[in-house]
Amino acid sequence: MDLNLMEIMGSNAGLYLAFMGSAIAAGLAGAGSAMGVGITGMAAGGVITEDPSKFGRTLVLQALPGTQGIYGLLIAFLIWSKVGVFGGFVDVTYEQGLMLLASGIPVGIVGFFSAIYQGKAAATGCSIVAKRPEETAKAMVYAAMVETYAVLSLLASFLMLNSINL
Amino acid sequence: MAIVNMKKATIIALQDEKESLVKGFQAFGGLHVIGIEDIDDEELKNIPKDSAKEDATRYEGLLSQVKYSLDFLSKYDKAKKSMFAPRAIITESEHKEYLQNLNKVEEIYNQCKAINEKLAENRNMETKLNNTLVQLSPWSQLNVPLEEIGETSYTISLIGFVPSKSVPEFEENLSKSEAEHYFKLIEDNNESAFYFIVFYKQAEDIILDILKQFGWTKVNFTDLKGTASKNIKDIQEKLILQEKNKAELIEQAEALLFNNSYLEALFDVLTIEKDRKDVISNFIKTEKSFTIFAWVPETMVKELEESIKKITDSYLLTFEDPGEDEDFPVYLDNPKLVRPAEMITEQYSLPNPRTVDPNKIMAPFYIMFFGMMVSDAVYGIILAALTFFALKKFRLEGGAKKLIGLLCLGGVSTILWGALFGGWFGGLIQIKPLWFNPTDEPLMMLIFCLILGIIQLFIGMGMKAYVDIKNGRILDALFDQGLWYVFLIGLMLMIFNPAGKYLAIAGAVGLILTQGRDKKGIFSKLFSGILSLYDVTGFLGDVLSYSRLFALGLATGVIGTVINEMSLMLRGSFIGNIFMVIFLIFGHTFNIAINVLGAYVHSSRLQYVEFFGKFFDGDGTPYRPFKVNTKYIEQKN
Repeated sequence: MDLNLMEIMGSNAGLYLAFMGSAIAAGLAGAGSAMGVGITGMAAGGVITEDPSKFGRTLVLQALPGTQGIYGLLIAFLIWSKVGVFGGFVDVTYEQGLMLLASGIPVGIVGFFSAIYQGKAAATGCSIVAKRPEETAKAMVYAAMVETYAVLSLLASFLMLNSINL
Repeated sequence: MAIVNMKKATIIALQDEKESLVKGFQAFGGLHVIGIEDIDDEELKNIPKDSAKEDATRYEGLLSQVKYSLDFLSKYDKAKKSMFAPRAIITESEHKEYLQNLNKVEEIYNQCKAINEKLAENRNMETKLNNTLVQLSPWSQLNVPLEEIGETSYTISLIGFVPSKSVPEFEENLSKSEAEHYFKLIEDNNESAFYFIVFYKQAEDIILDILKQFGWTKVNFTDLKGTASKNIKDIQEKLILQEKNKAELIEQAEALLFNNSYLEALFDVLTIEKDRKDVISNFIKTEKSFTIFAWVPETMVKELEESIKKITDSYLLTFEDPGEDEDFPVYLDNPKLVRPAEMITEQYSLPNPRTVDPNKIMAPFYIMFFGMMVSDAVYGIILAALTFFALKKFRLEGGAKKLIGLLCLGGVSTILWGALFGGWFGGLIQIKPLWFNPTDEPLMMLIFCLILGIIQLFIGMGMKAYVDIKNGRILDALFDQGLWYVFLIGLMLMIFNPAGKYLAIAGAVGLILTQGRDKKGIFSKLFSGILSLYDVTGFLGDVLSYSRLFALGLATGVIGTVINEMSLMLRGSFIGNIFMVIFLIFGHTFNIAINVLGAYVHSSRLQYVEFFGKFFDGDGTPYRPFKVNTKYIEQKN
């Protein structure tokens, strides 16, 4: 059977695909961050029961896996402003829509997984804070190592997005 | 570079003058005393050591009591202490006086401890009473005295509850059963329904069966007499008494607050004394003399001799350079602007004393990267102004001072980069970039970041070469770094000019020939040489890692724009405008916080992993001079 997406979705196909792209970027990365921040929060809570004065340090660690969600939203926002969500939709062809969809994928997928694993690394960091609070910076660096890949995927998404001319 | 050279001082002086000399050393504040156990000398091991362990332990015990009292009392100290209040000044004679009146410490400590224990007891009691109160509250309408619930000769009475949703069915089942009984719904809070039930003993099985079926939970109040409502009243009265008792205890604690200044001064006096005793434990003792080994910064050598001369004439003082393999404590001396960045290195590890202090070179990169990642001039102004204010107004010390100083420098750098890239409050203020807008020309920005990375990595390799040359390994520097320079520069030239190929090949051949020089046999030499070329991927990865400079800068800008656009949607009516302003303030505060954190962490990472990875040799021992350490007072002679 010869399926033509264009026929199924009509002339707005490009716009639909662009929205899917932004949904993947913001949705997946945001979900990952929620899990990551939650994982770290659980570990941080354990530390606080012993020593409430470590709230500040653990909060910093907990904030680290939250950035993926922001990166995802950032790419989603750029897609929206490109297709004109904030004032008059522009015409998006089927091919352009696919490109927009693809550009949302890196930050979505990498954001999802990296946020979870960064959350785990930061959770271990919380036990560093509990036992050796003077080494908090090292705990942060371990978590930041994971974030590298989220940053790279953000860059990949951005460069793809930036190359699309509507 | 900026690792201060140390001399090893050996001081021999008379036992009689020990006390005054120790005091003098402490006032001098530059001796890093070498512990006896760290001295590797067979002969010394047989000479008896001085010991002030007993005194030190006694002072330590007193210190912990003082600290407990201070911590306890600080909870009830309502007077806000200004951060810029001048410290109390303690003279020499007052210092002695404090030491003679130590018995008061125990008294205060015992009082604090007693109050604290009573408070804890009070808290426990309160929780217990409150728990009982919660359990009792559904039964307030039950007129039967609690002690009468239970078995009599012929009947059984019970109280308990079933889930509210099964109430109709439960009651129906009970009514239908042939067993004679009485039940009453006392209270239904929409979650559980509370019942009082009486039945004959012979009907026990039937009734209990029905109860079980509906998830009956039996309630028991042992030890309570009288009706529930009477008990509730009793407990409420008891709780008021508890509250009163607590207020009294807090009053007692507050009455002890006048001791605070005494305790604070004593804390410092005891710390000073304890430090002295700890140092004495590292003395080597003979009948008439004592010996001490310590590291002194080269620049303070004269000062040390003068400070000893002031106290006595009978001494012997010699200085030695550190031995070939002897590690001396690391003391970094950097210009004022670089000092905040020392924090970043210290968090990683202090450099090995034989290598270099990276701070002077790392600091400008760190601050530049920080600015590029935040990259909004208005954020920079806010950050710099706040931290500058904090530096000027608060008495900050140690790590906190360095951190705030670093953020201040980062803020200034942020202003600069924000202006260059045209980032002003997420685009709310439209000012043309002085250089170019990275969002419009991403490729140019990416290349710029990678070039910065290459520059820093090359400098890192240069530092490694410097260390090698400094330690006499000139060939290592030439083969490991020199040839890599040739190879990498050749590779990069190839982008612009095919002639770079020859340079790259020359470098590669050199590397193949030299990188296996530690291996035995021609084949393993060659093999390691060829394998070493694979490191070029590591270099590539390091360079690409600098792309985060662009990505994080991009994040700040775009999130700022999102906040602006969402806020501006509220514009229009009066209330809308108010919400817009609130939203703007809240949003941008959040953006500053998350991006400053990101910039701090990622700029650190670039230094630790990429830059330090090229040359850094850590594990230095920090220089901890024996000096007057005070928290609350100032000493005056």
